[in-house]
Amino acid sequence: MRKNDSLLSKLDWPLFISFMILVFLGLATVYSVAFNEENPSIFAFSEKYGKQIIWLGASFFVGLLIFLIDADYYSKIALPVYISVLVLLVIVLFMPPINGARAWLGVGSLGVQPAEFAKIATALLLSKYISELVVTFQTIKTVLTACLILFVPAFLIALQPDAGTLVVFSSFLFVMYREGLTFDPIILRILNTIPGIKFKSTWLGNHFIPVLFVFLFLCIITLVLSNVQFYLWGFPNNPLQGSTGVVLTLGSISLLLLLFIRRISSKRDRPRMILVIALGFVITASISLFVDKAFSGLAKHQRNRIELVLGLKEDPDGGDYNRNRAMAAVGSGGALGKGYMGASVSSIESNHVPESETDFIFCPFAEEWGFMGSIVLVATYLFMLLRIVFIAERQRAPFNRIYAYCVAMILFYHFAINIGMNIGFAPVIGIPLPFFSYGGSSILSFCIMVFILLKLDSQRIDVL
Amino acid sequence: MNIANRKYIIVLFILVIGVLYSLRLFYMQVIDDTWVLRAQEIAEKRKEILPPRAVIFDRNGLKIVSNKTYYNLMFIENNISRLDTIAFAKLLNWTPIQVRERFAEIKEGEGVYRNKSSGKKTPNYQKKRAYPFLKELSLEEITNIALHLDNFPGFYEEVTSMRSYPFSNGANILGYLNEATRKEIDKDRFYRPGSNIGRSGIERFYEKELRGRKGIRYVVTSAMNNPIESYANGKYDTIAKQAPGLKLGMDITLQAYGELLMQNKKGCIVAIEPESGEILAMISAPSFDPNLLVGRRNIGLNYPKLATDINKPLFPRPLQAEYPPGSIFKLVQSLIALQEGVITEDTGFPCNKSVVGCHNHPNASGVAQAVQYSCNPYFYAVVRKVIQQRKSKNTFTDAEIGLNLWHSYMNSFGLGKKLETDVSGQRPGLIPDSKYYDRIYGRHQWAFSTIRSISIGQGEIKLTPLQMANIAAIIANKGWYIEPHFVKSIGDSGPLPVYQKKNYTMVEAKNFSAVIEGMRRVVNEPGGTGSAARLKDIMVCGKTGTVQNSQGEDHSVFIAFAPMENPKIALAIFVENAGAGGTWAAPIASLIIEKYLLSKISDSDKEKRIIEATLSNFNKP
Repeated sequence: MRKNDSLLSKLDWPLFISFMILVFLGLATVYSVAFNEENPSIFAFSEKYGKQIIWLGASFFVGLLIFLIDADYYSKIALPVYISVLVLLVIVLFMPPINGARAWLGVGSLGVQPAEFAKIATALLLSKYISELVVTFQTIKTVLTACLILFVPAFLIALQPDAGTLVVFSSFLFVMYREGLTFDPIILRILNTIPGIKFKSTWLGNHFIPVLFVFLFLCIITLVLSNVQFYLWGFPNNPLQGSTGVVLTLGSISLLLLLFIRRISSKRDRPRMILVIALGFVITASISLFVDKAFSGLAKHQRNRIELVLGLKEDPDGGDYNRNRAMAAVGSGGALGKGYMGASVSSIESNHVPESETDFIFCPFAEEWGFMGSIVLVATYLFMLLRIVFIAERQRAPFNRIYAYCVAMILFYHFAINIGMNIGFAPVIGIPLPFFSYGGSSILSFCIMVFILLKLDSQRIDVL
Repeated sequence: MNIANRKYIIVLFILVIGVLYSLRLFYMQVIDDTWVLRAQEIAEKRKEILPPRAVIFDRNGLKIVSNKTYYNLMFIENNISRLDTIAFAKLLNWTPIQVRERFAEIKEGEGVYRNKSSGKKTPNYQKKRAYPFLKELSLEEITNIALHLDNFPGFYEEVTSMRSYPFSNGANILGYLNEATRKEIDKDRFYRPGSNIGRSGIERFYEKELRGRKGIRYVVTSAMNNPIESYANGKYDTIAKQAPGLKLGMDITLQAYGELLMQNKKGCIVAIEPESGEILAMISAPSFDPNLLVGRRNIGLNYPKLATDINKPLFPRPLQAEYPPGSIFKLVQSLIALQEGVITEDTGFPCNKSVVGCHNHPNASGVAQAVQYSCNPYFYAVVRKVIQQRKSKNTFTDAEIGLNLWHSYMNSFGLGKKLETDVSGQRPGLIPDSKYYDRIYGRHQWAFSTIRSISIGQGEIKLTPLQMANIAAIIANKGWYIEPHFVKSIGDSGPLPVYQKKNYTMVEAKNFSAVIEGMRRVVNEPGGTGSAARLKDIMVCGKTGTVQNSQGEDHSVFIAFAPMENPKIALAIFVENAGAGGTWAAPIASLIIEKYLLSKISDSDKEKRIIEATLSNFNKP
């Protein structure tokens, strides 16, 4: 064992710094949004920024403890932690509902949301389970067991109900995919029943998860944009429908891929690659158009239901109030923003954007810092996510790698959905922006998640 | 594919989302301005603040037009939620039907905008805009309503200011304000539905100088539409600025006194300071209290009454009534003749009553005496000499040349044309030229004998009382005048450049002394027609006029200036259908002069007689 004083030298500084940047920007934004003239000190603990500082302090304290615990320990405690969280998830269902959901444990501002910690517990247990598999992670039994680890907490969270966290649980499917999850046996079993067909493996079965997500993403984008008209540069008089826009975007991506085909495939593979891209375009475009047509072909009440789920319709007035206000806030920030503490649409006081200190915290940030700030934020997140993938790939221990992927994918989901709903690309699902949104449970859980990763990474060489 | 390569798919996912979001953010925040407009619509409200209209002072610094605070009950339809019409009607002491009708009236009143190219019609009324539901409420009225406004979201009170006149005089000069019409609103962005605009008089002429500069506040409003704070710390705000006060040349005390003298009479008084051209008083009788036309409710109530009053109180007589001047015109005729050299100061003409009627007096042996006696045959001979100067052998051609020369002299006295004064709605009067008579008689079909009645200020000649007063000012100045005007100074900027220019007549100063001497004799010598204007301490120079007219009794006219040396006031008095100039107009003139120069009245009997007189043509309601 090495001594603790060398921890600093083994800490992954790029990840830690990007993490600290986000924490700092988040705290600054909470301060700006929740600013109260009567308590201007950032340490005013009766205000939201003061509370956020307390939670951050608590998080860093827990982080210190995490660094004191030996890395080996995490796979050992995975199961007890998982079971404790499940117990909490059950208990929480008997608590009085707050805002229509039984998500809170404890009282008042000291309450915590077990669902936030369920993500860590699930990540740990899943990492432990998959890393300890002796046989290949491709049999139906192992796949189902892994899915069960996901399903139990997901089911309990669905009962709260907390749609946002539920959606985030699907991020583990990507981790499983990375670890070799395949649906080939199932696909093959179905396909090979057809006389005359005898495949040994299918591309679809192998890459079922990403394909499924591309499909879902397309459907959501198409639906979200179905009522939106937009204009192409130079054609101010010809409005285009949302689905047309999706098809056009897909077409341009395909064209780009074809242009850079030399870079992405070897000479031998090139004809196959071109075919894949062309087919991919045709299939995705037809899916998008089909969804759009099918949607508008639905009966009105069915359509309303879907619109409600997607957040297209949420406020009692019937329009997509939240998203509309959020986009107005983000869009009105312009290139350089309205200046720190200058948000007019998304300040808590004006209350046009609901939850502007929690789920919609990107609004005040983007409104105050404009595109300049937004791009810094997006870039920092991208850097962080790619850094975690890089960290994952350099681990010797499968447990560490799988856990790192879990963290990457959870953060990616939060980032993609949260920012997406601010810019009209994702349905309005209430999930926090990691390190940014006000809220004890989310701050604490995201920090713990990252600190465990940093700890595991700092001891990667110790693993034999 | 090797399972380890699956990491690239994951990296690809992350990158695609990152790039896609970056592009989307770039489009939303930098390129597309839809959201900026949307945000303004939602949260950043532009509020216009009207400054109170500029105050108007008289020449002694007395406030004659000021502002009073009133309240409007405003509403924004978008902010109204679940209006309890019955409770609301009860609050206003209305019936629910009246409330509904009022809403309908406002919507209709805004009219419809028709797009010229597409022909599409859209109503001007907008649900997000503020409209006055009730206007011009007094403090008491609004207090009762405001107490309960919390129960009616979407309604709020707004402070407005309206004109107030501490003196109830000068209505026709000052003019009044009225709501801007749709057309005016479309033409000038300063105005909004419900805002006031100067409708007549000084209020109209100096509209731009009086209205001031609007202030604009950008405020951030909450989802409940309450203003929270100023936008960007007020960086883009401008302050409403009241325009500097207008200082008039008018003496409100003199104006009020003139109106008192003219009560129960029809006619005018115009008094000018000769040296500056400032109008000291301009009385149009009968007059009315300007407070009657303040605000929509008052205008609605009183305007029809004033407009249908048989005595026409709304008619600004000094500017628009064109009367034949009568004998006062003889002064101008003498001046022209002297300048043309067709007579000298000592030229005499017999009082030949066979040519034109006259009263009994000795023959005039010179201009001064002729003016004193107001001898009709004398001026008949004088004007004949001016018109028929034998510049052509043909009498008709000669008359044509002579008349046009005479006409240009008249123009130089500001007659037959509008003076450049600062009140709109002036009439030019009428001084005929050759073309005028050509139209009536045909070219070269007329000579002096045809048009001789012009020599004594009758016939076609028409002057406004303002022009008559200006003649008195010209004589007082011996040959020049400054355009008569109301506004002495805008703020403290001093006299306006337009009103500093001396307009010289075609008559030289040396030719004025005989006429002035004549005017002195009219008032101060036995046998003068204007002895009623005589004052013990002030040398008044004047000229009476008795204007025959087809509509009844003669009009009584008098123009004068005083004192003789270094004159301070020039004036014209016109009393409709009152009889001889010496009987009514002359005493009124002396009272005005005395009041202005000495601030006291020496002959209270004279004053009493004038004030109490009700002339026969005045229709009492």
